[in-house]
Amino acid sequence: MSTASPILLEAVGVEKRYDKFAALSGVDLKVRANTVHSVIGPNGAGKTTLFHMLTGTKAVSGGRIVFDGHDVTREPDHRRVQRGMARSFQVTSLFLTLPVRENLRLAAQGTAPAQALNCWSPPVGARSRADVVARVLARLGLERHADTPVGNLSHGQQRRLEVGMALAAGPKAIFLDEPTSGMGIDDLDDMKRLIQGLKDEHTVVLIEHNMNIVMDISDTVTVMQQGRVLAEGHPHAIRSDERVRSAYLGNMITGGKA
Amino acid sequence: MNTAMTTILRKHFHLLLALAFVLAMPLTMQSGSLASEVLIYGLAAMGCNLLLGHTGLLSFGQGIFFGLGSYTIALTLTRWPLPMPLALALAVVAGAVGAALVGWVAIRQRGTYFVMLTLAFAQMFYFLAYSMPGLTGGDNGLMDIPRPSLAVGGFTLWPLTSPWQYYGFVAVVFLVAFWLLQKVSASVFGRTLLAVRDNEERAGAIGYDLKLLKLQAFVISGAVTGLAGALHAMMTGIAPLASAEYHTSEMILVMTVIGGTGNLLASLLGSAFYLIVGDWLSTLWPRWLLLLGVVLMVISLGMQRGLWGLFESVWDRLRGAKHAKHATDATPAGTGDKA
Repeated sequence: MSTASPILLEAVGVEKRYDKFAALSGVDLKVRANTVHSVIGPNGAGKTTLFHMLTGTKAVSGGRIVFDGHDVTREPDHRRVQRGMARSFQVTSLFLTLPVRENLRLAAQGTAPAQALNCWSPPVGARSRADVVARVLARLGLERHADTPVGNLSHGQQRRLEVGMALAAGPKAIFLDEPTSGMGIDDLDDMKRLIQGLKDEHTVVLIEHNMNIVMDISDTVTVMQQGRVLAEGHPHAIRSDERVRSAYLGNMITGGKA
Repeated sequence: MNTAMTTILRKHFHLLLALAFVLAMPLTMQSGSLASEVLIYGLAAMGCNLLLGHTGLLSFGQGIFFGLGSYTIALTLTRWPLPMPLALALAVVAGAVGAALVGWVAIRQRGTYFVMLTLAFAQMFYFLAYSMPGLTGGDNGLMDIPRPSLAVGGFTLWPLTSPWQYYGFVAVVFLVAFWLLQKVSASVFGRTLLAVRDNEERAGAIGYDLKLLKLQAFVISGAVTGLAGALHAMMTGIAPLASAEYHTSEMILVMTVIGGTGNLLASLLGSAFYLIVGDWLSTLWPRWLLLLGVVLMVISLGMQRGLWGLFESVWDRLRGAKHAKHATDATPAGTGDKA
């Protein structure tokens, strides 16, 4: 089913060099619409750097990125949001003194950033984005905390809001950078369900260390090593791939099931 | 009560407080000039607060916009026969344009380098003013700035001759400017600035053009500060080189921090404290600025919400109320080191 869907995002030969060090040396990636596409690999493999390239947080040193039919290689992150990209951060990055509702409203408003220059009208009525905010709050299960300053939320709640910030923009593609990092075992299932539910309306690109989650919810898995793509395929193919097994500790990739 | 209602009440509450303050000064103070100065520097501190408290930008360039306002009104009133309100408007434009230029360059950097850029501009502006005596009067400044009455078709509406007459005019301008700034602060734009203050990286990632937002904040801040500079020049009758000095920027910043950066009205408190207490202390001890240093230390160490925060805590304790602080009043903990 997933192979039938069109390609939403394509990276061709993406490179990133810091002086002489090549963090990425020619990565190709094709992400199909309405799938969960995971990127895994040992620490330092270049996963987060690749994310920065795809979302425009940092500029590429070489290569090309096409999103939804547009060449976005040279566009900064805030322009790519207008194209329908949204991301979450590996280290929680929220507006800590502002309430949950305001965080989501700001994220929703980000798709029409010209409005942010309106220095006359307060954000009420249509500008309050109440529909989107309520929908995302419900999805995150944070309705009761809507008016709590984000700095007062628990870590698990902040991690969910981190995904919600991406969701509030109503994007075509959501980039999640280790959404479960630092999460307690009790919160993991909530997060897994949340991500799994996203692909009906969105395309998900996921960096994740928790192999149980990756193997359970991914349609495609890309394995990276030292700035290159080592292997790519369905989760079960990746699980039994010899190169992947030798690059990784065996039990890490298989979740201890092999 | 829902949050929108609370916000509206709150907004008007501040305007009413400002009005009460403006009315109370003539009843309790001897000097109309000192009272005018409180409102004028209150405006300048609010302009600074918009950058520091709302956007997290520590600007040492405020003196430039203040000086631009002073010089502009001095030139227009002494050399061209322009009506005074128009001259005031020109000073506002001059402050805004100056801020657009300084902002356009300075916001290319963040943190320390941003601060250094604003400082560099402040120094440059001083020497520019110093080396162009034809325009600025150089070391002497521009003198004999008239204070024409507000008149329509030769009929005097409002003479500005005495200090308290001038205070009345400044008070009206102040209240209008304060109301406008409150609108800005509560607008979509003002609320988005808070996001920039809290977390620039995320604000960029969710789609905002940080440079554009910061530039607009700079322009508004410069306009208000230019207005303050013009009113000050009209009050003293001179546009001295000192108003272009780095010291003016520093004073405006100190007032802003003393008052508190949580909301705009706090800046009026900062200006009042600095000028009125300073005026009083200077009669007791010529080295009173030393004490000001102590006040700044106390605020920096343990009272980062400024005098406003202090009064608010005392008020809350008196009422025994434990109502949750409004988000915008929460200590912008990152403000100092981010800017």
